[in-house]
Amino acid sequence: MCNAVTLGFMPIFRPEEEPRVRELLDALERPVELLVALGPEETPLPGARDIEFGAETQRIVEGIAALSERVTFRVEEEPPGFERYPAVAVLPDGEDVGVRYYGLPWGYELASLLGGVLEAGRLESALTPESLERLATLERDLVIDVFVTPT
Amino acid sequence: MLLAYKAALASPRVRASAIEATEFPALADSMDVWSVPRIVVNGVPQWDGAVPERVFLDRILAPAFE
Repeated sequence: MCNAVTLGFMPIFRPEEEPRVRELLDALERPVELLVALGPEETPLPGARDIEFGAETQRIVEGIAALSERVTFRVEEEPPGFERYPAVAVLPDGEDVGVRYYGLPWGYELASLLGGVLEAGRLESALTPESLERLATLERDLVIDVFVTPT
Repeated sequence: MLLAYKAALASPRVRASAIEATEFPALADSMDVWSVPRIVVNGVPQWDGAVPERVFLDRILAPAFE
């Protein structure tokens, strides 16, 4: 499973998952654009080096976009505003609000990217009114990085 | 992860990234990532694991970041 050839033939969603994902994406209330940022990649841990991370990331994003008319994507080489590659920016209504996924969104982490798309597709935040009030009092910028693994 | 994304979508002051730790080992090492999810705010490692929304807000809005 750990080489590019094998991965290329793996479906992005299991057959039983696809209708559910399509249904979730149907609920998007506004368009969501996915910007795939490609560029020089770091040397990953041993055993993972045969994977073409950028190409696989693009394939996964294409797979998500194929399930909904409201999800579009574009691919750029080293666009500004990215610290490492590959990356995917989730753009509600095409606007960059600072939502990023760095790396290949596979395994369990496909759900993180998909969750980001679903949240970005909401017209109103899923956070509680209390949380929104508290966020509105922020007087400094916050950069939140969440380290994840696909397994 | 979703709480961080929700916060970024809700506030122009918040940006949120998921970072695949095995793909960026040098960065993960520098943030002492031993278990995931590990939450880093403004470049400073904070905590590991998922927490409820209110606790998440408590932590990211802590005075240390104000």
